[in-house]
Amino acid sequence: MTYLRRLPKFEYVGPRTLTEVCSLISGGAPDDAMLLAGGTDAILQMRRRERVPRRVIGLKGVAELDFVREQADGGLSIGAMTTLHSLLSAPAIRQRYAILHETAAQIGGPELRNIATIGGNIAGALPCADLPPALMTLDAQIKLSSHRGERWMPLRDFFPEFGRTVAQDDELLSEIKLPRPAPYSAGTYLKFHDRQSMDMTVVGVGAFVVLDDDGRTVRELRLAYANGAPTVFRAMKAEAVLCGQLFGEKVLDAVAEAACSESSPRTSWRANAGYRLSLIRALTKRAIRRSWQSASSQKGTK
Amino acid sequence: MSAEIRHEFQVIGKPTPKKDAPLKAAGRAEFADDINMAGMLHGKLLRSPHPHARILSIDASRAAALPGVRAVITGKDFPGVRYGNLPRTRDYLPLAIDTVRYIGEEVAAVAAIDEDTAEEALDLVQVEYEVLPAVFDPEEAMKPGAPQLHAPAPGNISAHTESEFGNVEAAFAEAAYIREDMFETHAVKQGMLEPHACVGVWDSFGKATLWSCKMSPYTVWRQLAMGLDMKPGDIRVVQTYVGGGFSGGKQEAMPMDFCALMLSKKTGRPVKFVHTMEEVLTIGHLRHPMKIWLRTGTTKDGRIVAQHCKLLANGGAYSSIGGFSIFLAGAMLNLPYRVPNMRFESNRVYTNNGFCGALRGHTVVQMCFARDSQLELIAADLGIDPLEIRHRNAIQEGDVTANGFRIGTFAFDECIKRVAEMSGWHEKRGKLPKYRGIGFGCGAHLSGARLMGHSASAAEIRMLEDGTVHLTTGSTDVGQGVETVMSMIAAEVLGIEVDDVTYLKVDSAATPLDPGTFGSRVTLFTGNAVKQAAEEVCRQLAEIAGERMGVDPQDLIFRRREIVNHKDEKQRVSLKEIVRWGMFQQGKVISGRGTYGASEEKIDFRTGQGNLSPAYNPTACAVEVEVDPETGRVTMVGLWGADDSGTPLNPLAVKGQVIGAAVMSIGHALWENLIRIDGKVMNPSLRDYKMPQATDLPKLANFEHSNVITWEPEGPFGAKEAGQGAGTGVVAAIANAIHDATGVRLTRLPFTPESILAGIEELKEKEAVTES
Repeated sequence: MTYLRRLPKFEYVGPRTLTEVCSLISGGAPDDAMLLAGGTDAILQMRRRERVPRRVIGLKGVAELDFVREQADGGLSIGAMTTLHSLLSAPAIRQRYAILHETAAQIGGPELRNIATIGGNIAGALPCADLPPALMTLDAQIKLSSHRGERWMPLRDFFPEFGRTVAQDDELLSEIKLPRPAPYSAGTYLKFHDRQSMDMTVVGVGAFVVLDDDGRTVRELRLAYANGAPTVFRAMKAEAVLCGQLFGEKVLDAVAEAACSESSPRTSWRANAGYRLSLIRALTKRAIRRSWQSASSQKGTK
Repeated sequence: MSAEIRHEFQVIGKPTPKKDAPLKAAGRAEFADDINMAGMLHGKLLRSPHPHARILSIDASRAAALPGVRAVITGKDFPGVRYGNLPRTRDYLPLAIDTVRYIGEEVAAVAAIDEDTAEEALDLVQVEYEVLPAVFDPEEAMKPGAPQLHAPAPGNISAHTESEFGNVEAAFAEAAYIREDMFETHAVKQGMLEPHACVGVWDSFGKATLWSCKMSPYTVWRQLAMGLDMKPGDIRVVQTYVGGGFSGGKQEAMPMDFCALMLSKKTGRPVKFVHTMEEVLTIGHLRHPMKIWLRTGTTKDGRIVAQHCKLLANGGAYSSIGGFSIFLAGAMLNLPYRVPNMRFESNRVYTNNGFCGALRGHTVVQMCFARDSQLELIAADLGIDPLEIRHRNAIQEGDVTANGFRIGTFAFDECIKRVAEMSGWHEKRGKLPKYRGIGFGCGAHLSGARLMGHSASAAEIRMLEDGTVHLTTGSTDVGQGVETVMSMIAAEVLGIEVDDVTYLKVDSAATPLDPGTFGSRVTLFTGNAVKQAAEEVCRQLAEIAGERMGVDPQDLIFRRREIVNHKDEKQRVSLKEIVRWGMFQQGKVISGRGTYGASEEKIDFRTGQGNLSPAYNPTACAVEVEVDPETGRVTMVGLWGADDSGTPLNPLAVKGQVIGAAVMSIGHALWENLIRIDGKVMNPSLRDYKMPQATDLPKLANFEHSNVITWEPEGPFGAKEAGQGAGTGVVAAIANAIHDATGVRLTRLPFTPESILAGIEELKEKEAVTES
C-alpha cells in the first residue's frame, strides 16, 4: 500500500548560511542527505518512502537565499528559497516578468504558495513543475553553489532525464537570474488540468515572443513544456519555425506540429499520450497567439 | 378550520439558520477525533497489499514487543461471526481471518500510546500470504473458471433481482419505435470532509461503548452485537457530530469500530481510531459502477410503452447494502415517467475491488443518467421536442405505477415548465453559439423507504420546568439540518421558539430506536413522529391548563409560549406557568411520544411489487455548458433546477440541500473518478480524487433552484424529501448539454475532456468523409 506514512526517522540540520550548507553537503553520498526547501513535494515523498534520507538539511533559516533583487543590467536575480507568495508580491516580477507572475499565481492555493519555493520547484526536477517552463522561456540562468565555488548555467540544460538534474551531489541550486526583457516582447504560460484550480498539470506550455522593431516579424520565439516529455524542455526546433517570420495562422500550425514531434509525453492514469499531444498542439498555438498579441500591442502604444 | 389547513405557521416555512452553525463555524463542535480520554490509546489498522490472498500466518510478536505498543489483535481475536446489512448478505468480518479480498482489507490492528508508534508497529506485523488469482471486472468474474470470492456465492453473484410488470413482450411487439443503448457508470466516493473516526471503551462491567460519527447509530449497534457475538444491550453507541455523511462507512459498523472496542477490552483503556483520507478513499463504500443496458419501446408520438433494463453492478469484495442497491435501481425505473410494461434484471457481482454500497441518490443517479440520456435520443429520432416528450410521459398525481407505487403529490409537469422558464430554455435550445449547449435531465426520489426489517421512527419530547423541551429521536443530524427542522416541527406544535428545543444526539442507551438517516426518510418519518410527540405534550398541557383556567382543553391553542383560549383570547396563561403548576403541584411528568410506521403496507422484495415510499419527489433541471473544442474542457455555465419537495419546512435548509445534491452530481459527471488498476486505487487523495471547487461551478447568479410547492398529506406539515432527488437528473442534463454543444453523445461516465475531444474529432472526420 502506498499510504502516506509517518515521516521516517532522520537527523535534521538547520544551517544559517550558504557556506554552512555547502560544507554540509560537501562530501555527501546522494541518499545520505536531502535538502529541504518548502517541502511541499519532499515531505510527501518521504511519507511515501520514496526518499528515506539519513539527514535532512533544512534551508528555511538561510536568509541569504530569500531575495528578489533588480540588477544593474536591468535583469532580475531571485534567491532559490524565495516562496511563490514572495514572487507574487515582488513589483518587478508583476511589472516586467508577467509570465512568471501568471505562472506562480496558478500554482496550488495560498497555503501552498506560502511555503513552496522557486528553488524547490526547479530542483525537484519533476516534468509537471510549472515554474521551469516559464523560466526557460525567459532564458533563465541558474547558479549552482558548492564548497568548490559556483557556476552558472542555462536552466534549459539543467534536466538531463526524468527526476534528475545535472547538479553534482555537493552542489545546491542557489540563485536564478533573468535577463532584461527585450523590447516588444511578451510571454504566457497556459496549462491544462481537469479542475479550474488546485490541480496537477496535465500539460503546460510556456511561450515567449520577441518582435522585431517593425512590431510584426517574430525575431525570437521560446517555447517550453511541462509534461511534454520526461523532463521540462525547450522545443527549439519548433521555435525556429517561426523565427524571422510574420505571424500567421498557417505558420502557427507548423510550429504546433513541430512542437508535437519534439514532444514525447507519457501515458499514465492521469492522461493518455495522444491526448497530451492534442493539448500541446492547441495550447502551443494559443500561447503564441496570446504572446504575440501582447507583444505587438506594446509596439502600438509606443 | 385549523391553522394547519390554512397553512399559517409561526415557525414552519421560515428560512431558519442551522442551530449548530455558530458552533461549527467557531470550530467548537466536538467531532469524534476531538474526544480525548484519560489514558486513551491510538489504534491503526494493517491492510492487505494484495487484491486476493489467503492468510497463511500472522506473527505479531515483534509488533507487540515494540515499546509503547499495548496490544495487537487479528481476526482470530473475534468470534468469527459474519455481520452485514441484509440477512442473506452477511459477509463482513471485523478483521479478515483466512482470506483477504481487496487491497486495503483490514488484517490486524494495533493500539499504542500514540499514532506514530502504532503505525511503526504495523511494519513489524509479519503476515504470510498465499496470493490468489484476482478478478476485477464483473463480466470476467461471472465467467466459468473465474476466481471465486465467497463460497456461498457461485459465479460471484453477490445479489440478483428480477422483476416484470405488465406484458413486456407484447408491448415491444406492438411498439412503433424501439431503441437499445448501453450506459456505463464509474466508481465515485462520498467525499465527506470528516474521515471515519471512533473511540471505544470496554468497561469493567463488560459493557462496550462506542463514540462515533455515525449516520445510523442503531444499525451500527446491531452490527457490533452481531460481529462481537454479544447482546445488543451490552453495547452502547453514542453519536458525535458528523462531518458529512452521504452514506457509506458512517452507516455501518466498520473494522475500526470493532477494533477500538476489542483493543479496549485487551488493554483496559479507551482506544481511538481515525482514518486517513487515503484509507477513506481506498476501503470502498463507493457508488456502484454499472453497465446499464436499456431497451425502450414507444408509440409514434414518443409515449413509452415498454422498458427492459439489464443491469450489471461491480460490487467489489463485500455486500454492504448492495442487495438493496440493485433492487432500488429497478424500482426507481418506474419514476418519473409512465412505463406501463417493464422488465428489470440485475446482477451485483463480487470483484477484488473496494466494495460498493450507498451514496447520496443511491442507484437512482445511475438509472436517471441512462434513462434521461436515452429519452433525449428517442426524442431526436422521433422529432419530438425534448421537453414535450417528458411532458407526454410524465407521471401524474393519483397514478399507480406498474410496480405499485401509489403517487400522491407529484408536480412533475410544473417542475419541467418552471425549469424551462428559469433557464431560458426556449430562447437557448438550438440558438446558442457553437460549442455552447443546454440540456435537460429529470429524476425522482423517495421520501424514505418501507423496508422489510425496521421501518418505523419514534420521537420523545420531555418538557422542562423552564418551558423549554428536550427532543430525542433516533435520527442524526449529518449536516443536512435535521436538528433544526425537527426542532422547528416541535416548536410549531408547542407554540415555542426553535431555540426552546434542545435536540439531543443519538445515544442507543437513551434515545428512541430508529433505522437511521438514509433514503431521505428523516423529515417525513421522524418528522411525523416528532409532530405526534409534540401534540401529545400539548394534550397533556391543555389538560392541566384547562383545569387551572376552567376552560375546555379542546379550546386551547399554543402560540408564542402561551396557552390561549381561542374562543376568548383574553384568557391566556404562559406555558411556563402551566408547566410549573403541573410539575410542582401535581407531580406530573410532562412528556410525549410519537411514532410513524408508514402504515402497514409492505413491499414484496422478491417481486418488486408494492408501494415503497409514503411519498415521491419529482425533479427537473437544465444545465448550460461551454465546451472548449480544442481541449474538450467543459465549463459549467449554469444550472437551473426545480423539484416538488412538498412544502419546505425550512426553505434555507432545502436550498442548501438541493444545491448541494446538484453540485455532487456535477462532480460525479465531470471530475470525480476513483481510478483503480488491478484493484489498486491510483488516486487516494483529495488532490487526485477531484471534487469540484467553487471555481468549477456555475456562478451563483446562474445557479438557481425553485420549489414547486405542494401539500403532501403523508408528510409533516406537507413536507417531502429534499436532499437527494435534486441530484438525480443532473448527470443526464450535463450529457445532454454536452451533446447540444458538440454533437458528441457520451454514454460512459465520467465525461472527461479526453473523451469529449475524441468525440469532437471523430465527428470532424465523419464530416470530412461526407464532404469529400
